[in-house]
Amino acid sequence: MAKVLMKGCEAIAEAAVRAGCRFFAGYPITPQNEIPEYLSWRLPEVGGVFVQGESEVASVNMVYGAAASGCRAMTSSSGPGISLKAEGISYLAGTGLPAVIVNISRGGPGLGSIQPAQQDYLQATKALGHGGFRAMVFAPSTLQEAVDLTYNAWEYAERDRNPVMILMDGCLGAIMELVEFPEMKEPDRKGTKAWDLNRNEGDTRNARLLTPYFPEAILELKNNSQKKMFERWAQNDVQVEEFMVEDAEYIIVAYGISARVSKEAILRLREEGYKVGMIRPITLYPFPKESFNKLNYDQVKGFIDVELAIPAQMHDDIALEVKDRAPIYEYCRSGGLLFDDDGVYAAVRKILDGGAK
Amino acid sequence: MKKSLVISGSGGQGVMSAGIMIARTAVSAGKYATFLPEYGPEQRGGSAKCTVVVNDEEIISPLMAKCDTLITMNEQSFKKFGASLKAGGILIANTSRVLSEITREDITVVRVPADDLAVELGNIKCANIILIGALIGADAGIITEEAMLNSLEAKFASKKQEVLDLNKAALAKGIEYGKNAK
Repeated sequence: MAKVLMKGCEAIAEAAVRAGCRFFAGYPITPQNEIPEYLSWRLPEVGGVFVQGESEVASVNMVYGAAASGCRAMTSSSGPGISLKAEGISYLAGTGLPAVIVNISRGGPGLGSIQPAQQDYLQATKALGHGGFRAMVFAPSTLQEAVDLTYNAWEYAERDRNPVMILMDGCLGAIMELVEFPEMKEPDRKGTKAWDLNRNEGDTRNARLLTPYFPEAILELKNNSQKKMFERWAQNDVQVEEFMVEDAEYIIVAYGISARVSKEAILRLREEGYKVGMIRPITLYPFPKESFNKLNYDQVKGFIDVELAIPAQMHDDIALEVKDRAPIYEYCRSGGLLFDDDGVYAAVRKILDGGAK
Repeated sequence: MKKSLVISGSGGQGVMSAGIMIARTAVSAGKYATFLPEYGPEQRGGSAKCTVVVNDEEIISPLMAKCDTLITMNEQSFKKFGASLKAGGILIANTSRVLSEITREDITVVRVPADDLAVELGNIKCANIILIGALIGADAGIITEEAMLNSLEAKFASKKQEVLDLNKAALAKGIEYGKNAK
């Protein structure tokens, strides 16, 4: 298929349709409204169902219901709306149902601002809801990556029977750039999925969903199997881009739009002889720990966390791996104020020059 | 070569549609392009700004501190973004609404009374197309006249012939102003 110029939110929506998503429920909030807007006409075209729910809570619970019927289902929102959906996302994890949750993030806390920011890293990676579960969190940096990650998201969600999050800043949600879409996957509705409560004639599966878990030992078994699942992710499912790190003395750590502006700054700094590189987590959870642990700390003099969040939310995850072997600096903007090429270049250069003294 | 363009004005002036059209036109000519809209919660009348980046290769960062070309559609946006134009850049000012004196001497200035010209042509709504014409006429190196004409034909294919003719006339008018300013 030829490349098309498309808006980030719409690209995610189309990728979901091509991944076989046939149910969407959501409630309006900027800057993700183009996802439901697009799916409101696109899903009916492919025999799918679009619902604008009466609230975020209703929407996520409709997704729960659709997932329980074996349908690939999705909801999307932005920070405040994801908070409202937290209960439902935890229920998806508790019951063991696959679904994809998209967060096109904006400023926070509270109602924050409608402008782009990366204020939801902690929410996404540490506690998407109550009860101590985790979800894989994918953070695209280009729209092509957003398409590819969304397209594959249900493979992980169904493999693990667990919700998956796509976390993308509002800047990438609004931007238009060229993308190429993969072919349409046909949704599997034969009733072969273990969690699918739909019954075809002659179906003898003993499908059932558990929530809540009684007696106590059953829930402990569930918690233990989840723990093993999180460990498997850390082992097998980390995705990361390491850019010019081999000889780097300073390493920028950034994701999403911040990584793109950082990459341009790195190219400029390299031309001036600065040995700087970047670790860009694509999976924010599982975090790319190995990328930090395999470094030569006689060579690496410092890290620079570049984020559209104040304070930097990824800092703690970086610190856990760096273990005081090098200092961690921050260059951040927030509130809806964006980075620009000159700003990141100048800020990083200042840190490099300060460190070299 | 990487070129950045900022179009700014107020909601309802066609800032976003002009930016999208330019990005689409660049892409149809085989280039890479990004379009980033920025606006407040207002539907009409608020500040509207978009950034279009066009390049021969994939665009790494779509966020630039300074732009190569700036189109300002009103006084407020001229005041807000005038300084973000690079030295040696091109300023295209809709002088029907940009009333301040333009004093910078390190830039090329294209003065186009786009609103007045658009009304003369028959519809205020084509003011943004006049300004796109000025961009082409001033050789901003972002899109060509031929590619833009193709885009207009595609965009207005389902409309009456008069709509296409009006927009073509608007484009030609803008190109004339752009050329004269060089």
